[in-house]
Amino acid sequence: MDIHGPLKNLRVLEIGDFISVAYAGKLLADLGAEVIKIEKPIIGDSLRSHGPFPKDIPHIEKSGLHLFLNTNKKSVTLDLATQVGQDLLISAAADVDLVISNLSLEELTNERLSYESLSENNDMLVMSSITIFGYDTPYRDWAGTALTATAASGASKKIGSPDKVPLWLPYCAADFQGGIHGAIAALLALRKKRQLNQGLHAWISVVEVMASYLGGSGVPGFVFQGVLGSRDGTHRSGFYPWQVTPASDGFVEVITMVDEQWKRFINLMDNPDWADDPRLSDRWLSFEWHKELDAFWHPWMKGKTRSELFKLFSENRIPFQPVNKVNEIIESEHLAVRGFWHEIEHPVVGSYKIPGAPYLFSETPWAVYRPAPQLGEHNEEFFKTRLGLTTSERSNLTKLGIT
Amino acid sequence: MTATTNGPLSGIRVIDHGHVWAGPLLGMSFKDMGAEVIKIQSPTGGSGVSMAGKGMAGTATRDAVDISDPMAYHAFDRGKKSLSLDLQSEDGKEIYKKLIAVSDVVVENFSARVMPSLGLGFDVLTRINPKIILASLSATGATDGPWRDLVTYGPSLAALYGIKSVLGYHDSDHPQEDQADLDPTAAGHAFFAILAALESRDTTGRGQHIDIAQGEACIQRIAEPLMDYFLNGRVAGPQGNRYPATAPHGYYKTSGLDEWISISVRNQEEWETFKDLAAQKSEDITNPKFKTLQGRLDNQDELDETIESWTKDYTAMQLTKTLQKSKIPAYPVMGTLDLVNDENLNSLHRTSLTVTDNNFSLDSLYRGVIWKLEKGQGEITGPTPSTGADNDEILIDLLGYDERKVIAFRSNGII
Repeated sequence: MDIHGPLKNLRVLEIGDFISVAYAGKLLADLGAEVIKIEKPIIGDSLRSHGPFPKDIPHIEKSGLHLFLNTNKKSVTLDLATQVGQDLLISAAADVDLVISNLSLEELTNERLSYESLSENNDMLVMSSITIFGYDTPYRDWAGTALTATAASGASKKIGSPDKVPLWLPYCAADFQGGIHGAIAALLALRKKRQLNQGLHAWISVVEVMASYLGGSGVPGFVFQGVLGSRDGTHRSGFYPWQVTPASDGFVEVITMVDEQWKRFINLMDNPDWADDPRLSDRWLSFEWHKELDAFWHPWMKGKTRSELFKLFSENRIPFQPVNKVNEIIESEHLAVRGFWHEIEHPVVGSYKIPGAPYLFSETPWAVYRPAPQLGEHNEEFFKTRLGLTTSERSNLTKLGIT
Repeated sequence: MTATTNGPLSGIRVIDHGHVWAGPLLGMSFKDMGAEVIKIQSPTGGSGVSMAGKGMAGTATRDAVDISDPMAYHAFDRGKKSLSLDLQSEDGKEIYKKLIAVSDVVVENFSARVMPSLGLGFDVLTRINPKIILASLSATGATDGPWRDLVTYGPSLAALYGIKSVLGYHDSDHPQEDQADLDPTAAGHAFFAILAALESRDTTGRGQHIDIAQGEACIQRIAEPLMDYFLNGRVAGPQGNRYPATAPHGYYKTSGLDEWISISVRNQEEWETFKDLAAQKSEDITNPKFKTLQGRLDNQDELDETIESWTKDYTAMQLTKTLQKSKIPAYPVMGTLDLVNDENLNSLHRTSLTVTDNNFSLDSLYRGVIWKLEKGQGEITGPTPSTGADNDEILIDLLGYDERKVIAFRSNGII
């Protein structure tokens, strides 16, 4: 298929492991960039051993997370812990526009994998590094995962029940945020490179992304407005109501900041007497009595199914929506009409679907040109055509376990 | 009054219709990295609802801005220009079209029908300026579909798209409230998409329309349970602090009040190190049933209890330092008050240049610029503008209207 994405002229090397850098690479590749994913020999990226696997049987080509995150990429195996591997990476970097990485700081500052080394033969090279704690900060050397970053950002202390453990944002949400902002840093640095006519290194910290861009820290609100967030379980304090409310067959998100919407909701329940309760006169203060106030209208909600409620709320322009389960959003008519789910045909796995485009471009659309690559599928193209290695040099690399 | 910058987006002019959160944050992203961002606001003050109180999170305010107030440099409209404009009027539309002719990007997060109903849909804008990139952020997308006109907020959208169904304690099916981060997640994806469209425009000379449904950008992060359903038909419920194929993984009670430590062990090698550290205090951790990953996953409640019997006697920071010395991912679960004094986060915020405008400098910065470029760093160049602060500059200097005309626009309520 002809590549038409807006980034079709971009050549990228992806180094590192697991979700964050792979999501950055996917965002680039799905918009047409050529992304070569460098993986460990034999076992590959840890995405490949993570799952979920069909029938829960582990298989290096069948991990669901890998199949989603590595669409459109090429796979090359190369052991970056060896000097030969590092030298080959430096040669390859001479011929690309961009390196994206989520290497640990120890690896990043390894003199053979640093920006300075990788740009040795390419002074126009741009590198974007996704770090957890930062690149020139006090805790730069500390180890971290999506869980660590969520905890460190402040986001968790606002999620969960006040008498229970705080909650993280599940499924490594922080790593996905790291991926998107690492990809943004890359495109910003590419623009800067053209202004300077010289390459450069850019980086982000996942902790700062979560604390600042995603609002996890709550510090500006506290310093300037004296608002200190708390965790309130199935509710949120602030204004009332803002909560996850039981229906007869599940839960519904109830939230309204606009009085007209609240009045329409009251109206829907035939204007009960309790609606005049003085504790509801200023809904910014009502949360204090939420247990008593909930008791007025929860039975009405509990007597109806989510779909009955959704229909009523939509018709009356009230912004309350059902908590859909994973299967229910997959089967929703809206996403089917939008053409969101994307069917893939994979030589080893067979056919399956993945979540589709996060944005629709009118001229240069998001596309899946090829499924996630098999481990080392592009070794020959890479070592032979790109790097010009002879057959014996290549078989030597394999023998030494470097590829 | 806005200082010129050498940021990577210098030379790009952005028209910002953002309101509430996603839109203004997206505009701020452009501004901090060097673009010129013109905020369009209603002359009567109706549009541009502020998200968290006057001038703070959202938008330019009708009141005069105190430029020595640090808050004005933390709001999403910092450094932007403000043009007040009545887009319902014919004169207002004419001014707007002239502005489109000299701009690069338009960002809006109205509901899907607003711009077309004003006669300012993408088909109109692209005829005026084929290079224009229009990014429309809506909850459920600009194309047809049963949810197209849904009234929604971030937290209800998270419910609708299945994201909330996995947020909660693993022993209960009642989801917990989230931190309402759909807006900034959509803003991040939109920023990336627009930057990609600019790359393409550099070679083709043509802009385009980008339709960003917040729900579709945000659902990407639950790809793992979505794939599990596609591959196995399994429906995930609330996950607590657990993560598939990883144990230990969670927050553990430490000695202080509501004080916890995050610990995640990524592989067997890290487990051996972790186990040896914990075993100095708690023999139970050496129980053979915890020896393999499968064993730890099968006995996770017991594993977590055993770990907590160790962690509860230490402060979160003490233990973090012990674990980090051995390269085990750990950090205290921070609250807002902890973060005010967090050395690492403060250091991250400070890497963006502080304001030099009007000899005012920020001593403390709580919302820095998150993309760090070793050359061409992001900058905070000015405070939140007051509504219409830049009307004269934009209409006279940029669009070439004469002063009398501008006076007439003002007295007719066009600006």
